[in-house]
Amino acid sequence: MLRFFGTRLAQLALVVLAVTLLFYWMLNLLPGNPCVAAFGGAATEEQIAECEQDRNLDEPVIVQWAKWGGDVLTGDFGKSYLTGRSFGEALNTALPRTLLLLAYSQVLALGAAIPLGLWTGYKQNTVIDKIASGGAFALLSVPVFVLGLVLILVFAVRLDWFDLSGYQPISEGLGAHFRVMFLPSITLAAGLLPVYLRLLRTDVIGTLQEDFVGTARAKGLPVRHVLIRHVLRPSSFTLLTIFGIQAAQAVNGAIVVEFLFDLDGVGSLLVSWVAAREFLLVQTLVALIAAVFVTVTTLVDLLYSVLDPRIRRK
Amino acid sequence: MTDVATTAVTGSQPEIAPRQRRHNVALWLSLGWLVLVIASAVLAPWLGFIDDPHKPLSGPPEEGPSWSNWFGTDQLGRDMFARSVWGGRLSLSIAGPAVGIGIVVGGVLGVVAGYFGRWIDLGVSSVVNVALALPALVFALFIVTMLGQSYINVTIAVTILTIPAIARIARAQALRFAAREFVTVADMMGARWPRLLFREVMPNVVPALASIAFLAMGIVIIAEGSLSFIGVSVGSPSITWGNILSSGKGRLEDAPHIALITGGVMFVTLMALNFVGDEMLRRLDVREARI
Repeated sequence: MLRFFGTRLAQLALVVLAVTLLFYWMLNLLPGNPCVAAFGGAATEEQIAECEQDRNLDEPVIVQWAKWGGDVLTGDFGKSYLTGRSFGEALNTALPRTLLLLAYSQVLALGAAIPLGLWTGYKQNTVIDKIASGGAFALLSVPVFVLGLVLILVFAVRLDWFDLSGYQPISEGLGAHFRVMFLPSITLAAGLLPVYLRLLRTDVIGTLQEDFVGTARAKGLPVRHVLIRHVLRPSSFTLLTIFGIQAAQAVNGAIVVEFLFDLDGVGSLLVSWVAAREFLLVQTLVALIAAVFVTVTTLVDLLYSVLDPRIRRK
Repeated sequence: MTDVATTAVTGSQPEIAPRQRRHNVALWLSLGWLVLVIASAVLAPWLGFIDDPHKPLSGPPEEGPSWSNWFGTDQLGRDMFARSVWGGRLSLSIAGPAVGIGIVVGGVLGVVAGYFGRWIDLGVSSVVNVALALPALVFALFIVTMLGQSYINVTIAVTILTIPAIARIARAQALRFAAREFVTVADMMGARWPRLLFREVMPNVVPALASIAFLAMGIVIIAEGSLSFIGVSVGSPSITWGNILSSGKGRLEDAPHIALITGGVMFVTLMALNFVGDEMLRRLDVREARI
């Protein structure tokens, strides 16, 4: 067990190193020196000189990367050479918004997918099941930005139920916070829901064939009790494995949703840095996001092996 | 591709016939729509009834659908029907090559990994798993930023996104077929590995890959749409579905038809692609890849 975790964590460390090196090295593929290329003439001589010194440009790429990695690990994420604003400062405002958005949308998606998945799996091929499955299929084909625009049109423009005037922190009151966050969270959740629903439904149908389900029913337990207490856990393994990958995909959606709803989260930060040609900041952010997600997927994998001991022996 | 569908249908059993028939109607509707979209996108410059998408004041600005402007007009009075068609033209001309290259590269990588196993499989699988764990849009955004916003670079970025997903499915398929009797028999008859790989395993993986192409096409259209929606795809004045929607975003109050109709066209196209792909996989009984 310990050895298994040890190997996985060592692999994880290697992957994180490789991924960050890849992103670091890509910046050096730009013609000329990355400090000059990044700013494309927008920076002054001193700013470029400062950047060159910070990035240790006279050393080989691997040494540059190692020093950069060391800085990142000690909390020095660099700063914008154009505006002087530090990376950490920008991330401090943006990160909570994105994390809340992701959390709300996952809660909404799972909250709807678990009961619906159990019920449609149990009521396989009935009208309810067909409507839910058809709806899920249609939802899979709606790009996030199309759904977001429709929701904005109906609920914010026409009905005026929600606020589009930018982010409100929880400290401004829960009402104000959710008036801003509800539509973006729903938009993002709508992309996750069909994936969870379809997976769970398939697994529930499989689990319902098992003998222990028949036994539980024969004992006279109510259907709801059997579904929640006996069927849900063995049916949720695939859902859990896909959760890591979906978490990464949710970030794609989050970038678009933040842009659409003017939330100024991490995604908006990324897009605005791209627009301002702040390549060095973009690179640090992308490398961080990559590291976080590789870690999340590995941890989910480990959790999976805790829940299902058969995996460990493979 | 169509004969795969029809042979599967003729073998259907009586008790599932009504469902099968419903699926057939939907399948033909989807294929019909796709042919329509692709034909209009390809032939756009030569079709007389499609206006110049850049010509201002084809009609009064921001008017809803009418006889002269089927999809209405935008802020500058440009014809929205023409813009939707031309937007589709660019989106499809990115998605087509991206999926084509993705299928070939991803397919070969996956089949080779699945067939040879051992360290080749380990290498390919680890790269694929890491790539799948990264948020795709962030990665595409990074590539386009580094290389510059041009048609070629956007196509490169979205192609890279398709490869790991396709490789994963191709690998699973190759594993499944490499263990089948006919491959073992061919092996015992003394066939060498190129023959086993290209004549025995590969032809069986191709139908699944052809179905995946439809699903991958949908994913690429969404990816490119997201990039152009946030302003990081091919720059203006190029028209893409994503940047039409982006410009319609600010006009939701006065001219909702700009976003709604383009969004609708995109939705129906994606739904058709997903339906055809999913239905083909269902008939081929490929479980690993269903959406």
